Amino acid sequence: MSNNNKQSFWSKYIFSLDHKVIGKQFLWLGIFFLLFGGFQAMLIRWSLTNNMEPLPWWLFGDILYQNSPVGAGIIGPDAYNQLFTMHGTIMIFWAITPILIGAFGNFCIPLQIGAPDMVFPKLNLISFWTMFLASVVLLFSYFLPSGTAAGGWTSYPPLSTPVGGIPGQGQTFWTLALTLAGTSTLMGAVNYITTIVRLRAPGMGYFKMPLTVWGLFLTSILNALFVPIIAAGLIILLLDNVAGTQFLIAGQKATIPGGDPLLYQHVFWIFGHPEVYILILPAWGVVSDLLSVFSRKPAFGYKTTAICMCAITALSGLVWGHHMYTTGMSPLLGKTFMFLTLLISIPSSIFFFNWLGTLWKGALRFEIPMLFAMSVMWVFGLGGLTGLYNATITSDIYLHDTYFVVGHFHYTMAASVMFGAFAAIYFWFPKLFGKRMNKTLGKIHFWFSFIPLNVVFFNMMVMGYAGHHRRIFDPSEFEFLKPVLELNDLITTSAFILGAAQVLFVFNFVYSLLKGKKAEQNPWEAATLEWTVDSPIPHGNFSSTPTVHVGPHEYSHPNLKDKDWISQSEPIPS
Amino acid sequence: MSQFQFRKKYSKKITTIFSGIWFLDPPKDISVDGWRIDNVIQYTDAVITLYFGIVVLAMLYFIIKYRARPGHKAVYDKGDTKKHVGITLAMGMLVFLSIDVVIEGMSFRDLKEAFWNFPKGENVVKIEVMPQQFAWNFRYAGDDGEFGTEDDLIPSQNQMHIPVNLPVVVQVAPYDVIHSFYLPNFRVKIDATPGMINTMWFQATETGNFEIACAELCGNSHYRMKGYLTVESEEDYNNWLQSLEEEGPVDEWEDEDGEIPTRWGWIWKETI
Repeated sequence: MSNNNKQSFWSKYIFSLDHKVIGKQFLWLGIFFLLFGGFQAMLIRWSLTNNMEPLPWWLFGDILYQNSPVGAGIIGPDAYNQLFTMHGTIMIFWAITPILIGAFGNFCIPLQIGAPDMVFPKLNLISFWTMFLASVVLLFSYFLPSGTAAGGWTSYPPLSTPVGGIPGQGQTFWTLALTLAGTSTLMGAVNYITTIVRLRAPGMGYFKMPLTVWGLFLTSILNALFVPIIAAGLIILLLDNVAGTQFLIAGQKATIPGGDPLLYQHVFWIFGHPEVYILILPAWGVVSDLLSVFSRKPAFGYKTTAICMCAITALSGLVWGHHMYTTGMSPLLGKTFMFLTLLISIPSSIFFFNWLGTLWKGALRFEIPMLFAMSVMWVFGLGGLTGLYNATITSDIYLHDTYFVVGHFHYTMAASVMFGAFAAIYFWFPKLFGKRMNKTLGKIHFWFSFIPLNVVFFNMMVMGYAGHHRRIFDPSEFEFLKPVLELNDLITTSAFILGAAQVLFVFNFVYSLLKGKKAEQNPWEAATLEWTVDSPIPHGNFSSTPTVHVGPHEYSHPNLKDKDWISQSEPIPS
Repeated sequence: MSQFQFRKKYSKKITTIFSGIWFLDPPKDISVDGWRIDNVIQYTDAVITLYFGIVVLAMLYFIIKYRARPGHKAVYDKGDTKKHVGITLAMGMLVFLSIDVVIEGMSFRDLKEAFWNFPKGENVVKIEVMPQQFAWNFRYAGDDGEFGTEDDLIPSQNQMHIPVNLPVVVQVAPYDVIHSFYLPNFRVKIDATPGMINTMWFQATETGNFEIACAELCGNSHYRMKGYLTVESEEDYNNWLQSLEEEGPVDEWEDEDGEIPTRWGWIWKETI
């Protein structure tokens, strides 16, 4: 890290070893896929309300689906299945993961723990470029004549194998891309864990780390433990697709005995349930920190929150069976999974009350990151509570595989995690790029995201409660769904507003980057270490290694006179 | 009034008080045990509405009362005293005891009393269900009551008939990929997974025509994999079986999309 001055364009911006540059690369990649995956959601919504009608020009109807078997510019059932498959895959693995874990994991961890960089900068570099390769493979599948994968983001075999009756090439590309993305995540996880364990600045005990770092730390542990499991599942799926094996094929279509499709479901959800915590833990951490910064008081019950997050991390690996209640699971196993799942509500509600406690008696500043952080309390409250229906075996027998589940997981994944990510982007933008984001556009983005999002996903839960099952290209096929369908227009309109707001966000992002006001060193008057360095941050971060004296949330301490906060690297005056 | 009737009546009362958070009604319940599922859902509705309402009111109050303004200062409070931690722990436990423990109790009770309490005896109607891409095949045992024999009855695809007021046990295994046998009007579904035979039971309380849907993505025409369920009196049901018998065995059942299964995949297994 000493050859700071003599860097070519390539080593500075493309193959950089600097965690901040790699973080920004992940951020750009994530934002690109956020738009891409979001656009596919718009196509899905269009198809649901305007079934078999050509796409309008503003959804690129003149370019897309020109060779569609059902007519130019029209989304048919095959295309529809491909859309929701890729929407789910992209949003989870190519949008949320790179933004929250790739970008903010890279950016925040070294800066917040007072380290000069990641402990393995080269691994970090390889991690990003593996992700890039994964993206190329994934995007390539859009150019296959038979189209992308179409087996749902879960890709349950045998549907996702050659006996499934859908063209297999897209599935092969999907499997390869996901394996590569998992490899990238795994490299990141190893790096993050080691960095947090080894490179904390003097005085930075575990219980002095910002909760963002706690969230990212626990996420990385889950990633390191569970990504290899999904990798094993993906590899046997790949073998079934390309090598003629039948690990995951059974029943009358199997020609070799011994295969079991249920094996994949277990392997998928052993990873898949921790995955939702992998995504949401960083968001929880960010929200916990931001609520404190903008309430101008320490995070309420900081240590309890951190311990609750650890408890959830531990429990998250033991509950995957609740995705499989209708598979004919043994009663004892089902009851055990239900009990363990419901246990999660204890630590979740405790740290939720801590969030409320942070606001209590604070001096709330409604800056844009705060708006997003507080909205996470709303959407996560709803998303968490509606999880109860799915955790309960009997109600899940009815609600499993309905829009209720779709609404529920969008409240947790799309809403809680993405709003956490937006809070993070608005909050760290000044430190990432040395510029301020436009406030007015930010507020418009917030309100035009928050309200339509609730309309969209709450109504999806209503539809699911009314019995609407998932992944239905044309719901008018069913009589019992007729009363439900009138909601679709409202949902689609709201979804388009929601989508437009994200375009506005990207505009604001790019505009502020180019033309934004210059940011001062610490615009939010935040106490964590990243705000003590100059913007732009030099390679190597801190001019001298900081010594940590106090916890991450020292706001409004009674001994402070001229300002209401003190950086972690300064002692509290007596 | 039997215990069940009492509980059912009580659950109706809860419905009338707390119906509305999802503002659309689920499909008409025509099953003996569907009310149990509605009941656990409505209890959860009621409690989470209450708790979420309290949280939202608290947030609104904090937003107004504690907004940053000249002369207002935050109180330095880390919330790490024994009292504070104790209060949050107590609130966490309150949530757990008032929601989770209750719904867990209801759910376990209903599984034991109904959903996993398979009916036995002479009057149980047994039907084998073999879904394929993208249709439902049904097989009835015929006069001898045994599956896998000459007199098995296979109606034309997607046609399922059951008698009202008699317990029906279905065994489900697919021909090709995973499907899920979903009866919205009975609030139940069970996956059909290759290599497995899954069992589920239900009982209708009224006659009529209803729909069967596939709840698990099974391919491009998943959206129109629909079956027709006719619930009829025992007499009509027997007449229908009789008419199937007269038509003789169905060698070939129409299938617009895919191939025709050449054989039934399994013979009824008495399990559990």
